Amino acid sequence: MEAVEYLLDLAGIGRKRMKLCWVSAAEGQLFVDYVTQFSEQTQELGPFSPDEFKVPLAAVEQTLDSPRIRWLLGMSRQLTERENVYHEKVDPEEYKGLLHEAIEEEYEKAMVLEVIKEGPQLVREISGRIGLPKPRVSFWISQLRNTGQAAIEGYDKTTPKFVALAA
Amino acid sequence: MSEEYEPTIIAFCCNWCAYSAADLAGVSRMEYPANVRIIRLMCTGRVNPNFILKAFERGADGVLVSG
Repeated sequence: MEAVEYLLDLAGIGRKRMKLCWVSAAEGQLFVDYVTQFSEQTQELGPFSPDEFKVPLAAVEQTLDSPRIRWLLGMSRQLTERENVYHEKVDPEEYKGLLHEAIEEEYEKAMVLEVIKEGPQLVREISGRIGLPKPRVSFWISQLRNTGQAAIEGYDKTTPKFVALAA
Repeated sequence: MSEEYEPTIIAFCCNWCAYSAADLAGVSRMEYPANVRIIRLMCTGRVNPNFILKAFERGADGVLVSG
């Protein structure tokens, strides 16, 4: 849940659009209160436009499906409550920092991949679309090319254009 | 916007907890916003993050997970 909230913030959707609450079967009034409060909060946030957030949403989904994030999430209790193979316990705050770092990286990569899925583009164009510095975009492009997820397709004069390959 | 904006909220509810609570709220005639669409699950543990994202993709303004 923490990972999803963090990603919603990263994607510019905001964690306020999601809420987790615990209600028992006997607490009808509590449910009503939660729903009313959440409904008012959502109303203040205004309408959500899925078309505008198409690329970020797809990137969020891809990030959560990535092996790296799934592994980290699956290991959270093992690492923070028990210990790793070297008998080291990871401080929960440190784990959180690591998780956030991994999420940010995977999200950047997913954003680049989502954009080039739409057709061949220059690094400059990709950078402009997602607001990521050009060196960073190039870095992710080379990573994606190494894993066979992206390739060069066409040139603008001598500058290569990149496109996503079907998985 | 001509009329007041009504958000669409998707609520994932556990059959045994929140769904029963919602049922109870209905039976005891408590009033709550009508813009909530409840999806009943056997357990909130069934909720995959993708459910939440899909809800946003299909035009939900907010997602409530309740169990």
